[in-house]
Amino acid sequence: MTNILDDYALMSPLRHRNNWLKLAIVLFGLLAGVSATSSIPPFFIAFCMSLTTVGLGKTPLQLYFKLLLAPMGFAVVSVLIIAFFSGSGPEMLAFELLGYPLSIRADGLELALLVLSRSLSGMCCLYFLALTTPMIELFAVLKASRLPESLIELSMLIYRYIFVFLDMALNIRYAQTVRLGYSNFRRSINSLGMLTSTLFIRSWEQGDKLFLAMNSRCYDGKMTIFEVHRPVKATELLLTSAYFLLTLALFYFTKNISIV
Amino acid sequence: MHIMEGFLPAIWCIVWFAISIPVIAFGVYKLNKLVKEKREILPLLAVAGAFIFVLSSLKIPSVTGSCSHPTGTGIGAIMFGPAITAVLSTIVLIYQALFLAHGGLTTLGANVLSMGIAGPVVSYLIYKAGMKTKLNFYFIVFLAAAFGDWATYMVTSTQLALAYPAGGVLTFGAFLSSFGKFAAVFAFTQLPLAIIEGAVSALLFKYVVDVKSDILVEMKVLEDSVVRKLRGISA
Repeated sequence: MTNILDDYALMSPLRHRNNWLKLAIVLFGLLAGVSATSSIPPFFIAFCMSLTTVGLGKTPLQLYFKLLLAPMGFAVVSVLIIAFFSGSGPEMLAFELLGYPLSIRADGLELALLVLSRSLSGMCCLYFLALTTPMIELFAVLKASRLPESLIELSMLIYRYIFVFLDMALNIRYAQTVRLGYSNFRRSINSLGMLTSTLFIRSWEQGDKLFLAMNSRCYDGKMTIFEVHRPVKATELLLTSAYFLLTLALFYFTKNISIV
Repeated sequence: MHIMEGFLPAIWCIVWFAISIPVIAFGVYKLNKLVKEKREILPLLAVAGAFIFVLSSLKIPSVTGSCSHPTGTGIGAIMFGPAITAVLSTIVLIYQALFLAHGGLTTLGANVLSMGIAGPVVSYLIYKAGMKTKLNFYFIVFLAAAFGDWATYMVTSTQLALAYPAGGVLTFGAFLSSFGKFAAVFAFTQLPLAIIEGAVSALLFKYVVDVKSDILVEMKVLEDSVVRKLRGISA
């Protein structure tokens, strides 16, 4: 069953690489992406990350494209707003919509393109992390960081229960759909209300059981997990530094270049 | 309404993180105190967090035909208070970014501020104020959830407008003009959505009161007398 991105991460061959290296690559990509002033470096980052995710991470290409398209709805709407309403330079395209004048200016378009490229590079970095690193591996990293213990415990427990409840919710929804629970608008609202309340009551009971189970196994507010030690290989280090250097160089040389 | 990864310029990412982190830290402090007092609360909070995640990953029927997701934080705020909800939503937002690609890591600060802090605080205030009046309980839940959603949407529009003011230079006028545009465009989905989420939240409470009202009494969301009145049992 592959419901969420984590399921793909568990199957990825890149799962067995050093977590810190992967995190460093992602953070570098994210930061370089959002601080870029030209849209060339973000596109470069997006290209490299996609290549790594699909090529080395063996993510199905079709799935990857579908994933990239999903969040683009929000991006396209917002980018259109930026393209039409920001900027003060010469007009490139002007027309009237319902008597309301609309125009795209050169600098507005430039900014919209930049925002689109930044979002794309951000999404690619995020997908690289999501599709190659299962959450279980990240917990080890979290434990090593100095974050509050209770926060990490809470995250681990939440992670575990997401799957239980997701399964439960999907089953209830299936049962409701079969009984025509979503056949019209009024009924769907009612069904959704029933679904959420059942889910709430069941999760509450589950919480009680969990406490009992954990307490009887001497839970003292600390779950220990096993971290596999994976040294960074020379080729990985070489590839990563080449990627970093290339991106930084591109970042420097395209500082003042605009596409439009 | 999640702001997606890479959408905000670096400087605004830092600003929103700087505002959100103290609130989350306060939430963690409260959480630690609560866990020390009552150890059984940690598993309960964990299932509550998972509940919020699953709730926000369900598609809710939308009038415009596009699918939209409830935030679920209004319910959290009514049940656990805004400080704890801020911590829960932060964790949930990280998971949403990693598992469902909603939102992102650099925009996490901005999203936590709109969905984990502003929304729940408004919901909580409306709920508390409403309970002092003689209004119907379910109507108060509806109002709290709907206005919480609208607060989230207003804050998100503000964040977008601050990052991308009209004309490219940040002045008050440019901010207002850009804010109006972002708010107007997102209003098409957000206004009806909030009403639907309010209705679903009210229904949730109705079913829980009908079937298992002792949970709500135990959590001190409702007084025993209020539950009796709602169920039509004379005390």
